[in-house]
Amino acid sequence: MRRFHVLIALLSTLGLILAACTAVQDTPSTAPDTSTEPDASSAPTDGGTASGGTVRIGVGGSPDSLNPGNGLLSEAYTLYELMYDTPIGINADGEFVPELASDWSVSDDGLTWTLTIIDNATFHDGEPLTAEDVAYSIQLYKDTEDFPFLPSYASYFETIEAPDETTVELTTAEPLGNFEANMIFMYIVPQHIWEAEDDPVAFENADMIGSGPFSLAEFSQGEFVELDTYAEYWGTQPTVDGVIFQTFDNPDARVTALTTGQVGAITEFPATAVSTLQNAEGVNVHIADIAAGGSLRDVFFNVTAEEDCPPDDGVCSGHPALRDLAVRQALAMATDKQQIIDVATLGTGSPGLSMVPPGLGEFYASDVEDWPFDPAAANTMLDDAGYEDADGDGVRECLADQDCETLTFRFNYADDIDTAAREAELIEGMWAEVGVAIEIQGLDPDTLTSVCCPAFDYDVMLWGWGSDPDPAFLLGVGLCDEIASGFNETGYCNPEFDELYFAQGVETDAATRVEQIREMQRLMVEEVPYIITYYQQSIQAWRTDTFTGWLDTDPTLGLEGPESLTSLRPAE
Amino acid sequence: MSGRGGYFLRKVGWALVTILVVVSFNFLLFRVLPGDPAKSGLRDPRLNPAAVEALRERFGLDKPVIFDIESGNLFDSQFTAYLGALSRGDLGTSYAFRDQPVSDLIGRALVNTLWLVVPSQALAILLGAALGLVAAWRRGRPLDAVALTFSLFMWSLPTFFLGIILLVAGAKWFGLPTAGRITIGAEFATFWDVAWDVGRHLLLPTLTLTLVLIGEYMLIMRSSVLDIFGEDYILTARATGLSTYRIIRHHALRNAMLPMVTLIALNLGFTVSGAIQVEAVYSWPGLGALTVDAVGDRDYPVLQGAFLMIAVSVVVANLIAELIYGWLDPRVSED
Repeated sequence: MRRFHVLIALLSTLGLILAACTAVQDTPSTAPDTSTEPDASSAPTDGGTASGGTVRIGVGGSPDSLNPGNGLLSEAYTLYELMYDTPIGINADGEFVPELASDWSVSDDGLTWTLTIIDNATFHDGEPLTAEDVAYSIQLYKDTEDFPFLPSYASYFETIEAPDETTVELTTAEPLGNFEANMIFMYIVPQHIWEAEDDPVAFENADMIGSGPFSLAEFSQGEFVELDTYAEYWGTQPTVDGVIFQTFDNPDARVTALTTGQVGAITEFPATAVSTLQNAEGVNVHIADIAAGGSLRDVFFNVTAEEDCPPDDGVCSGHPALRDLAVRQALAMATDKQQIIDVATLGTGSPGLSMVPPGLGEFYASDVEDWPFDPAAANTMLDDAGYEDADGDGVRECLADQDCETLTFRFNYADDIDTAAREAELIEGMWAEVGVAIEIQGLDPDTLTSVCCPAFDYDVMLWGWGSDPDPAFLLGVGLCDEIASGFNETGYCNPEFDELYFAQGVETDAATRVEQIREMQRLMVEEVPYIITYYQQSIQAWRTDTFTGWLDTDPTLGLEGPESLTSLRPAE
Repeated sequence: MSGRGGYFLRKVGWALVTILVVVSFNFLLFRVLPGDPAKSGLRDPRLNPAAVEALRERFGLDKPVIFDIESGNLFDSQFTAYLGALSRGDLGTSYAFRDQPVSDLIGRALVNTLWLVVPSQALAILLGAALGLVAAWRRGRPLDAVALTFSLFMWSLPTFFLGIILLVAGAKWFGLPTAGRITIGAEFATFWDVAWDVGRHLLLPTLTLTLVLIGEYMLIMRSSVLDIFGEDYILTARATGLSTYRIIRHHALRNAMLPMVTLIALNLGFTVSGAIQVEAVYSWPGLGALTVDAVGDRDYPVLQGAFLMIAVSVVVANLIAELIYGWLDPRVSED
């Protein structure tokens, strides 16, 4: 069992974006034409032009469960975000915004959180949504340990109570640094329906009654999800009549469906199709960082010190030279991240820095300077550290006190990542320039896990992570205590890092917590247990002649999120 | 119990044994694959360990695969549970599509597959046989060369490649849909509107499958008719002054159809599985697409069910072919 509560995310594919301009918050609308909305959504006339029409989105997968506790796939969370409300939302800039909770505050001791719940929300079956439902739902996620993800977000709360119809009180054992981040997955379900179920895990939830801007019309797994706009929605009413997510198993079929107008937008397609779509008439292609999450590609080193080797599972066969900081820093400078992005991902990535992707807003340590790509400096650094290529074979030899011959590293990559083999070859060429050789072998993820961690039976690995909207989850890979569990993949252990980690966990001052999180990133960049090669970007495309108002503001993007689908309106 | 009755029983017996072997082999085959179905391929340490355990327990994956040696109760295993459920006609519950019985999933998918495969097979058989016949008739002429080239080309063309080419061309030039079996969310006024919409969705996948199948039928038909043309009785018929049309119609065709019957029977067995690539290209929610998804998800119950379905249909089609042969050609059933 992990010592700290692991956070989640899954939502790397943008599901979580929340209506930034809700009725309750009453902020000025970002879309200038919102004022015309009541007209647009009133009585549909013939031809469907005055009504909003139905927007069709081509996707690659299909939700695995309609029960918000049971979902494993990002497609399921996309659906939950549209059908359910959460107490607190997160917008495309990674900022927390009011949703069902119009306001929230913490007591002076940092142990009691009080949320004010809006009084005009209703469920799709017409029943009012009250603070009771909010408390019931959080309690449900806390108590139902067999739900795969959500219990870890609700587990911090000792007591969950609704003293009146619009107030929810949550208490914690110690101050909670990322309270808001734990609220964004608390999908509020109707107590009057769920309490009749004996086993919430077995509950199919076929009607999917929530309080979000869309309600479920029809679902056929592996084929489509059809949503209707919920006319009584308390927040900003969508203009469209409904949304259809259609599953296209074949990426080429998805691209063709967009160019021929069968769908209005597609959310996943191969980078090779970008130029086709850019040349297509009436199609807009957008490549941007992923909102409130995102995934990264990393190259990481086995730096496990002897004393940290897990006693039960540890093999700890890492190459001794990789425990030398100079070698890792030199490799960081020998790695041309931009070339990897250009060649392997066809430009659909942004250069990596730390375990926190730019989609996490202010948590991203934009002030930390990365190692520059400078093979000459890398060579000098290795020369100075004493690694010489005495026999002239192009590969440097180890130091005399190291138990190794040459700087030749085993290099494993996850073979389910389609660009990984190409990336490994590129890195082989780059590192050869500084006298380092690698022996590349692709492995399937299960085998990779078995040699990776907590066995630490590898030298270098190329793999990746998906981030939570809160940085605490992924930064946990740097903790000393996580070496034995294998969540720490590198064996990296720095007490200063651990101290910062535990401090941010209980830090309720947002600005201080941001500083702590940035400092942790600075440490990891400095000590190079990871080279973060790039952050994956989202490639989405939509037709400009059917609907306008797709949320495409830089730097993030979320076509199928509630924020985007709410602001859509038919094109002129 | 000799002669025809004995032949019949022997064949049916062997078919049952084959299915039993397939049932056991299916079970082991998928468990040899690496991967943990409870995590369904997700590399995600954020999965709640309690939830993973609960999933394992629910799927019965906490039990040993074949023999339980440690607990003493030797037969409390996944295999015996599987056989027991199967004997009650229960194919289990899908891991990936939770709460859905495998029999429902497969039943729905099979109906969709048949919608696609039956018209394609029928068209391919008719057109393939006709083309083969004409080619044999015009042997060595330009028509034969064209038909032969066309058939060989279609037979060797990878299905998914042809599918994608037709998909792009059909969507671009004729506005045909690229996925699914009906326009989702559309409201249809009459039955004919529905039929029109379904027909448009069926057109490209059916065309692809027909073109892929047509070559084999044409080649078999052609060579079979050519064989018959070499027979003495055809020469005799020709000598009596019968027209080529009459020779084919009354003497050659029926005999030439014998190898076709075999091929058709065998192919019908495979058609259930044969549409996998076409279904994947056109997102057709049939048995093939279901199987492909199940492989990715390590969804053992669905895989076992689908493979059982495929195996049974192949074995049954073979059995029917053999029985028809025994009836058509009594020499077969006597040895």
